[in-house]
Amino acid sequence: MGNLADLKPLSKENQTILESGEDRLFKRLFLSPAVIILLILSILPLLWSLGVSITTCQRTAAQGVQAAPSLGSALCLGNPADLSLANYARVPTDSRLLNAAKNTLFYVVAGVALQYVIGFGLALMLNQDFRGQRFYRIIFLLPMMLTPVATGYVGRMMFDSGISPLAQLQRTIGTFLTPIVGQKVTISIPWLTDTSTAPWTIILLDSWQWIPFMTLLLLAGMQSIPEEIYEAARVDGATRFRLLRSITFPILLPISLTAILIRSLEMFKIVDVINVVTGGGPGSATESLVMYVFDTALSYGNYGYAAAIGLVLLILVIVFATLFLAFSRRLTRRQLGT
Amino acid sequence: MKKRSLGTNIMLYTLLTIWAFICLFPFYWMITTSFKRPLDVNRVPRYIPFVDYQPTTDHWKFLLVDEQAKTVRYFRNSLIAGLTSCVFSVILGSMAGYGLSRFRYYWSRLGWRNDNIAFWIISQRFLPPAAVVIPFLLFFNFLRLIDTHVGLILAYTAFNIPFSVWIMRDFFNSLPIDLEESARVDGATRWQTFARIVIPLSTPGLVTVALFSFIFAWNEYLFALMLTNFEAITMPVYLAGMKSTKGIEWWYMSALSLIMVTPVMLIGLFLQRYIVRGLAAGALKG
Repeated sequence: MGNLADLKPLSKENQTILESGEDRLFKRLFLSPAVIILLILSILPLLWSLGVSITTCQRTAAQGVQAAPSLGSALCLGNPADLSLANYARVPTDSRLLNAAKNTLFYVVAGVALQYVIGFGLALMLNQDFRGQRFYRIIFLLPMMLTPVATGYVGRMMFDSGISPLAQLQRTIGTFLTPIVGQKVTISIPWLTDTSTAPWTIILLDSWQWIPFMTLLLLAGMQSIPEEIYEAARVDGATRFRLLRSITFPILLPISLTAILIRSLEMFKIVDVINVVTGGGPGSATESLVMYVFDTALSYGNYGYAAAIGLVLLILVIVFATLFLAFSRRLTRRQLGT
Repeated sequence: MKKRSLGTNIMLYTLLTIWAFICLFPFYWMITTSFKRPLDVNRVPRYIPFVDYQPTTDHWKFLLVDEQAKTVRYFRNSLIAGLTSCVFSVILGSMAGYGLSRFRYYWSRLGWRNDNIAFWIISQRFLPPAAVVIPFLLFFNFLRLIDTHVGLILAYTAFNIPFSVWIMRDFFNSLPIDLEESARVDGATRWQTFARIVIPLSTPGLVTVALFSFIFAWNEYLFALMLTNFEAITMPVYLAGMKSTKGIEWWYMSALSLIMVTPVMLIGLFLQRYIVRGLAAGALKG
């Protein structure tokens, strides 16, 4: 999970032991198991997925509960009758898929942006000297430790329109305001039941859980900035805001970009919170691509199409990562130039 | 350090406390809900035990005594999947990390050197699991590995290896090579050097890798959902299934969430600095 934005060629710190004959064996022995596992459990499935995505493979044929299946049909492979590009023909016209892709991108962009901004603010605060700093830092970490599924449930308890404390707070504010305004005030925000607000609620929940990640990374970065730089700038009469803009932020830029990239790539995989909180609803307003994949596979048994959606997701991720890396290279370079 | 004004201080503490409240309240709510009677949950929110509702330990008793077999089984499944895949990814990851840090590789067919290999390995981490879940499903189904621990362990090991290789390579790069060389001069084999000298020195890196592998497997949902049905179900899937027939039984779900979060929280509190190291791995050097 290193700094992908700035991958250096073979670094000098890379110490190498001179190799003898015996070492040539060990050299292989050390690296091979991991590489073999990745080939078998990551690359092979990926290629296979590609193969499955151009078949009309269905669950019944694959599971072969009724008839003893041939090896090929059980694995969704090598049955020429199944071959078809129908799955990919369906992709651009499938409004549910397009909607899920749109939602996923929305989560990535809006969600990660929100997490970065708040995470940065919290890190700035925690970076001050004050009593109880350790205490606050531990508390701020807690949300990250909860299982995402549990976060989803707690989120439902918090945002439920009837039984949640938030709903009661809204009602209380309403009754409190009524005499002041002179007419009946009802504040009701349909957190989970409205197609336009529900995605935001999902983002809020995911942010609650993952802002600590941003905070932790950025705080670690801030603490590695030597105090002398600030001292020197202060002597020159720089304001607090100026220090932030001209020192803290630029120095943190590489970490920021890495943190944003990591969070974004994780966000593309979002599924558990949504599944628990809204089940993709209302309608399909909050459905993510990963949800659509497992729904297609488990509820409809359409393995071919599920594989195709998974690959669409992969393409989105690759495009996003490539653009992001190009963008961050340019950003870092421009900054070094000035 | 410049002294802050009183106003700034008040603002700082106010903001910090508001955020601390946001972080803590859901936990408070889970804890109290697990002691509430259904009626106290399903009408209006009740806040303080003994004041606006009478707590009950029925739900905990239900989960830990009546349904003990189930709870224990799913908890154990999660532990098995988490710990085993964690051990595998630590071993394989540190071996590959050591290799990449100490030897010079050249894959002539691809023209790849150490950094290309390392980049290829870490890029696997960003592969969305959803893109490969179908072949896993088919293959494990074919091998009758659906609903077994083996299936989950294999999948989780594969997902954790990239991260552990990356962290361990970083870690070994920062270890001075002199000790190993002198051991070699004294006649230790390459493997002995690795097992007796390098590994004991690498405890911080290993702990970080182990923690992250375990927590990943502990919380993983998608593969557990797709690859298990009944016997090998892990806690997240069991938890997500709580919303079945009678609506969500908030009290059980709260109690189960607390059971789930406890190990992670203990790890997190005692080994916080390893977590920070893992999150910041590599990022701080750039």
